Amino acid sequence: MDFFWIISAFTFLGLIGFGLQILAVRSYIKSQHREDPELDSTPFCPPISILKPLNGLDDHLFDNLASFCNQDYSRFEILFSLQDPNDPAYRVVQKIKEKFPEKEMSITIEECEEGWNPKVNNMLPAYRKARYPYLLISDSNVMVEQDYLKKIIQPMKDPQTGLVTNLIRGVGAKTLGSLFENLHLNSFVLGNVCLLQKFLKIPCVIGKSMLMRKKDLEAIGGLRAVKDILAEDHFIGEKIKERGQKVVLSNYLISNVNEYWGLKRFLNRHLRWGKMRWKILRVKYLLELLGNPVLFSLASLLVEGISQRSIILIVSTSLIKGAGDYYLGEKIQVPLHPLAYFFSPVKDILIGLVWFLSVLNHTVVWRGKRFVIGENTILSPYSEARIWTWRYRLRNRVALKGT
Amino acid sequence: MLLCDFHIHTRYSDGSIELRRTIDLFGQAGFDVIAITDHVVNGKTTYGKMANRFRFSVQESHFPDYLLHIQEEAKRAWDRYGMLVLPGVEITKSSLSSRQSAHVLLIDLKTFISAEWEFEKIFLEAKKQDALIIACHPHHSSELMAIDTLYLWTHREKYAPFIDAWEIANRDDVFNVISLKKYPYIAGSDFHRARHLYSWKTMLNCEKEIKAIKKCIRYNRGVAITLFRNGTPW
Repeated sequence: MDFFWIISAFTFLGLIGFGLQILAVRSYIKSQHREDPELDSTPFCPPISILKPLNGLDDHLFDNLASFCNQDYSRFEILFSLQDPNDPAYRVVQKIKEKFPEKEMSITIEECEEGWNPKVNNMLPAYRKARYPYLLISDSNVMVEQDYLKKIIQPMKDPQTGLVTNLIRGVGAKTLGSLFENLHLNSFVLGNVCLLQKFLKIPCVIGKSMLMRKKDLEAIGGLRAVKDILAEDHFIGEKIKERGQKVVLSNYLISNVNEYWGLKRFLNRHLRWGKMRWKILRVKYLLELLGNPVLFSLASLLVEGISQRSIILIVSTSLIKGAGDYYLGEKIQVPLHPLAYFFSPVKDILIGLVWFLSVLNHTVVWRGKRFVIGENTILSPYSEARIWTWRYRLRNRVALKGT
Repeated sequence: MLLCDFHIHTRYSDGSIELRRTIDLFGQAGFDVIAITDHVVNGKTTYGKMANRFRFSVQESHFPDYLLHIQEEAKRAWDRYGMLVLPGVEITKSSLSSRQSAHVLLIDLKTFISAEWEFEKIFLEAKKQDALIIACHPHHSSELMAIDTLYLWTHREKYAPFIDAWEIANRDDVFNVISLKKYPYIAGSDFHRARHLYSWKTMLNCEKEIKAIKKCIRYNRGVAITLFRNGTPW
C-alpha cells in the first residue's frame, strides 16, 4: 500500500480525535452556562485555606493574586509562601497585603528542603499553618472571577468527592512564545482533559487548581507524601482515587495569564510536561501523537517529497486544525485575533518535535537544578559530574579506537 | 526601600509597548516609582528629522497630550498598584560621532524643553522647572548597534555641576567611571521591550513622594542599585 495513504489515514484519525475533543469541550462549556438551582437554594460555603506558592514574577502577578482577594465568599484565608525574601514576588505580595488589609492572609518565607520538588518544598511551611478544613492549592499564574470559590466548592457537598480540579484557558498572549503557549493550552490541553473526562471517564488533575479536604490530604500522607514527585498533582489525584473517592473536573474555567513568554520558555515547559507524561503514561504516551494531525500530514513530505497531494494534505489539515482551534478559542471566550490561529499549525509542529525529545531524555532542570525523573515521576538529584563522566568515557572510547 | 526605574520608553517614542500596558507591566511586578521618559530628539539633525517624521519622538505640539496621558495613567497606577509615575523625557542629541552624542533624562518636567537648544539652556530651564537632570548611558556601552553617547562625559568638568545624577548602570551595562569619579548615581533599564524589565534598577530609601525622591537622588544618600532578575515561575 502507498505510504502516503497510510499517513493520510493517520492524519484523518488525528482529525477525528480533534473533532471529539471539540465535542467534549463544547459539552463542558454548555454545562458551565447552565444555571445551578441548587447553588442558590442550599448555599454550601465552608471555610477554605488557599495555598499560594510564589516563585518569581508571573505575568500579571498582581492582578492574579488580587483576584483571589476579591472572592465573593464568606470565609477563606490565603497563605502565600515563598522560599526567599529576595524573590521579586515578595514585593508584589506585600502590596497585595497593603491593598487588602481586611482579608485573612499570611506570608510565609521559609527555606525548606525536605524534598526534591521545589513547589512542594515551597508549600510545606505554609501548609502547616492552614487552619480550615478545605484546602485549595492554587498556582500564582491563574486569574479567577469573583464566584470561583463559590462554584468549585459545590461538588464537595458530596462526601464521595475527594478532589475538585479545573479546566484552564491561556489568555493574554503578547509575544510569539506566549501565543504558542496559549494556543496549546486552549486546544491540546483543554481538548484532551475534556476528552478523557467525557468519553473515557478519566479525570486529569491540573495542579493549577486543586481543592481537597485537609483530612483527605492528610490521609494520603499530606504534602510530604509528594515532596519528591515531579507530577505531584497527578499523584495526589491517584491516591485520592485509590481511597475510593471521586476526582471531579469542575466546569469552571480559570484563566492562565501568559503574556510575555519567550519561545524557549514555551519549549522548556512542554519538554518538562512531556517527560512527565512519558513517565506516567508510558505506551499510552504514543497515542498522543495521534492528537497531532498536522505533524502526521507533514510526514507525507518524508515519503514522497513535495508533491501536489502532499501539499494539499498539509494545507488542508493545517486549515482544519487552525479553524478548529479558532472555534475552541471562541467557545472559551479567549480574546485573540483570528489571524493568530494561523500560527496554530506551526505550534503543532514544534510540539511534535518536543514530543520526540521528551522520550529521548529523562532529566529535567527545575529552578537551576537537574533531576533524573524516575518511575512515577519520582525525582532524584542528578550529578552534573555524570555528564562529564559520560563525555570522558566517550572520548576515551574514541581515543582507544584511534589506537 | 523603593524599587524604581527612571528610564522608560513607550510608543510615544521608540518603545514597543504603549503607555498603559507599560505602566501595568511595572505595576504588576511590584515597582514603587517609575518615570516615563520618551525621546525628545534634536530635529535639526538627519536622525532627528527622521525620528520626528516617523513619530519616534515627542514633539512640542504633542507634549501637553503626552503629559496629560501620563497624568491620567499615574492616577490609575497610584490607585491600583500604589505606584508613583513621574512624567519625563529623554533629551536626545544624537549624531554619527559618539563624542558629539548625548542623552539626558529630565524627570518631573512641566513644560516642553527642546532638544535643539544648547545644553546650558536645557539644564537651566530644567532647573527652573525643578526637574531632575540625569545623564544617561554616559560611557561606552555593550550595545553593538548603538552609538555611544560620550559628549557629557568628555565635557564633564563643564556640565557635572548641572547634573543631578549619572546613570551608573543602564539595562545590562555598568559604567564604573561614575563611581571612580564619585558622581551621584542611579540605574535604569532604558526600557523599550518587555524583556528589559529585568535589568539594572534603582533602590531608594525615602518616602514614596516626589519631593523626597528628588532629594534622595540629588543628595545621593540612601541610593542603591540592583540587578532586577526574575526567579523561575512554576
